[in-house]
Amino acid sequence: MNASHRPDVPGLVISLILFAFAGLIWWDTTNVQIASAYGPGPTAMPYIVGAGMLLIAVGNLVLALRGDFPARDSLDWKPILLILGGMAVLIALISYGGGLIPATGILFAAVSAAFGRRAFVTDLIIGLVLGLLIYVLFSKLLALSLPMGPIERLI
Amino acid sequence: MSQYRKGLWRSALAAAAVVGFVTTAAAQMELKIMAPAAPGGGWDQTARSMQQALTQAGIAKSVQVTNVPGAGGSIGIAQLVNNAKGDGNQLMVMGYVMVGALLTNNSPVTLDQTTPIARLTAEYEAIVVPANSPIKTAKELAEAVKADPAKVTWAGGSAGGVDHIAAALFAKAAGADPTKINYIPFSGGGEALAAILGGKVTAGISGYGEFESQIKAGKLRLLGLTSPADKATPDKPSLTAEGVNLEIANWRAVVAPPGLTDEEKKALTDAMDRMAKSNEWQSILKAKGWEDSYVSGDAFAKILEQEQARTKEVLTSVGLVKS
Amino acid sequence: MDAFLALANGLTIALEPMNLLFALIGVLLGTAVGVLPGIGPALTVALLLPITFQLDPGGSIIMFAGIYYGGMYGGSTTSILINTPGESASMVTALEGNKMAKAGRGGPALATAAIGSFVAGTIATIGLAFLAPYLVDIAIQFGPEDYFALMCVAFVTVSATFGDSPIRGLTSLFIGLMLGLVGIDLLTGQARMTFGVPELLDGVEVTTLAVGLFAIGEALYVASRRHIQQETLEPVRGSLWMTKQDWGRSWKAWIRGALFGFPIGALPAGGAEIPTFLSYSTERRLSKHPEEFGTGAIEGVAGPEAANNAAAAGTLVPLLTLGLPTSATAAMMLAGFQQYGLNPGPLLFAERPDLVWGLIASLFIANGMLLVLNLPLVGLWVRLLAIPQPWLYAGILVFATIGTIAANPSPVELMMLTAFGVLGFIMRRFDYPIAPVVVGLILGPIAESQLRRALSISLGDPMVLLQSPISATLLAIALIALVAPFVLKGLGRFRATED
Repeated sequence: MNASHRPDVPGLVISLILFAFAGLIWWDTTNVQIASAYGPGPTAMPYIVGAGMLLIAVGNLVLALRGDFPARDSLDWKPILLILGGMAVLIALISYGGGLIPATGILFAAVSAAFGRRAFVTDLIIGLVLGLLIYVLFSKLLALSLPMGPIERLI
Repeated sequence: MSQYRKGLWRSALAAAAVVGFVTTAAAQMELKIMAPAAPGGGWDQTARSMQQALTQAGIAKSVQVTNVPGAGGSIGIAQLVNNAKGDGNQLMVMGYVMVGALLTNNSPVTLDQTTPIARLTAEYEAIVVPANSPIKTAKELAEAVKADPAKVTWAGGSAGGVDHIAAALFAKAAGADPTKINYIPFSGGGEALAAILGGKVTAGISGYGEFESQIKAGKLRLLGLTSPADKATPDKPSLTAEGVNLEIANWRAVVAPPGLTDEEKKALTDAMDRMAKSNEWQSILKAKGWEDSYVSGDAFAKILEQEQARTKEVLTSVGLVKS
Repeated sequence: MDAFLALANGLTIALEPMNLLFALIGVLLGTAVGVLPGIGPALTVALLLPITFQLDPGGSIIMFAGIYYGGMYGGSTTSILINTPGESASMVTALEGNKMAKAGRGGPALATAAIGSFVAGTIATIGLAFLAPYLVDIAIQFGPEDYFALMCVAFVTVSATFGDSPIRGLTSLFIGLMLGLVGIDLLTGQARMTFGVPELLDGVEVTTLAVGLFAIGEALYVASRRHIQQETLEPVRGSLWMTKQDWGRSWKAWIRGALFGFPIGALPAGGAEIPTFLSYSTERRLSKHPEEFGTGAIEGVAGPEAANNAAAAGTLVPLLTLGLPTSATAAMMLAGFQQYGLNPGPLLFAERPDLVWGLIASLFIANGMLLVLNLPLVGLWVRLLAIPQPWLYAGILVFATIGTIAANPSPVELMMLTAFGVLGFIMRRFDYPIAPVVVGLILGPIAESQLRRALSISLGDPMVLLQSPISATLLAIALIALVAPFVLKGLGRFRATED
């Protein structure tokens, strides 16, 4: 909408990423060796999607060069890092046997903090209780195998 | 550490509960069975049925089922080989499908790295045609495949699975080039069955159970099963007896992690032997319609080896695995 | 009228106190698991099978039916309230439903979803009771080429979710199509776009993508803008219940949704997602308030919700008449039948009419029960939005991740969830529409494999697409839908200049 005719730098980055996607699809498809005996093989669709992606990348490039990207507000990185940090801790706890309940507690507290709460300990406790409830419901009632850690083994 | 302590606690509680009860070594077993698939599938049902039979028959004290879904079992077996090495209480359900999946997925982990324990069940593949098809017998289908494999379209399960392998073996037995078969994989469930019923394909191939009710209702014609000739009955003819030499079974089995001592291996094999004979297991087999094909120990290890060699040969011949 | 008599018989079975209790347990459990993305009715039925083994067949199958319908309700509740589709079929509901909830119209959104589900479920269950044998004969006539043509119709209608810029909409769609390539190619067993990561061999899970884009993406976006614009949520603005105008705008959408959902659900490879897309775009075209679409139009909730519930009943058509399980849940119900030695299929209606009609009748009961349970709860549900914002979003993220962990406890899956969250954030920030990504992931692989099947059967002859009357008709519809807007626009301009 804002025809400022000044190139939009993040927009250029996005179109660059789309070009990279197109290249990635093309590169991956050249590694596919096996064809179907009849009809189009496993490479037909990737080439179509890859070609489409290339056109889309060009389209976005034009938008970016013309400055036709939507206007954006300034960005607050802190909450983003908090949320992604919470997810990272959760993934680490699950992968290395920390268990589901502490992972849930930390994620809950981290997201609450990202949304401006200061009472980290209270939120951690709420999250732990929430995790406990979910754990009991699904592992005991439905016999689902959820990630176990030291706390889960005590239950 | 905490697991060990909890184990102690549980043993103490159990011991207190069964005062005066003679507990054998096997009854102390706390087994873990991994189903390398999502809950609900065949392997998961096998694992949960084993759990039921083992605990109810008093062969194991507790059995825990875990699911590690992904890529036809490739993820599960990788976890078994890498993370459970030397764990004498761990089992994994697997089946013939995994043999093919590991090959087509180029899995870095192979079944040779596991400790084979026992084969439990087997199901034969059935070849069917729509009721109004001009093809009446397996021989006629074989002739059609030989005349022009492209014109005979097969509906079955995923590429490289047991259905696909059986179709390729059929073409081979018929004297046609297996690379030329026109096999059309459908994603599980009833999609393949719908295509056969709708007459979209020439023939269908899948486990007998998938077709059973349609065959009985007269909507599909059964040309034969991939069973040995001596197992043929009037309503379950064997392809081999019909003159098309094709024997294959979709079996399910259990394997253990690598690095077990001989005693651990024997304890697991004994537990399976006892389970297979138990009334609990037999009644589950009956309820689920699974055919008992129990083989344990070295005999199973040999079967596993042969099946791997044959599958590799077939998959290479249809071009799904590059040699 | 045999069917009426049999249905009356079925109702007396379903109304037995024990069976009512099973239905109640079923709908409650179903709602509970439907709320969690990733764990759906299929997984629940799977886990309950060993437990229900001891119960009598009638009761447990009735319970499964309750879980099935309950799951649909639960999925749409979270879609509307917290923008977290519990099932892929309730993704479209989130588009308008969540906008309504944020504008304080969560009450009417939930109500139209619940009543629409009831109306459509009832229409579809009646269809199941009386039309199943005829419908199934048509359904199996659908070949791969016809499914491909149906996908073409769906692709054309996707543009309804594009927003105002075609390039941005197509960008989203192609990202979805690219994600659809990931995994093992069904027809040859080849790995594509997996880069040696074994966890990617099974492809991208629709719920992981939808939850990442919708729930986590939204949380990141709202959090990053807190310093500029505080999001204020009023649980109720105006009426908690549907106004007369809401009713007027909803009822036609319910019926149209049911008419899309039931037949497509009855197709062996139809699914519940496609009718929701078709319903959404139809409502958008027909609405007298097209400007409200994208900001919370009630038709956009009523239609798709009706469609997905009708589709759920539709999948029971091939299951009961042919023994064809066409969805994961239907497959589990088949396993449920089989553990009692019952084989759904052509003979079941004849051999065990009590069971079949008991099940159909209990679908009516479950549906009514869900309506009675859900309507009074609407007031309570919308109060959820009054939870302080930090806790609300923290709870949403916990639900989103636990759902994923419960379905597949793999770190790779969680990393994908996070990555899709970041993608959703970027797309929001740069104003790309979100829904087409999910649509591309769902439709792309189906369209590809059906076309390749059709061409494999025809030995590469593309004329097969026009030789089948079903396919030819559907392709014509797709073409008209694609061209008509331009033609109409052109005509409009022509008239304008004439005036």
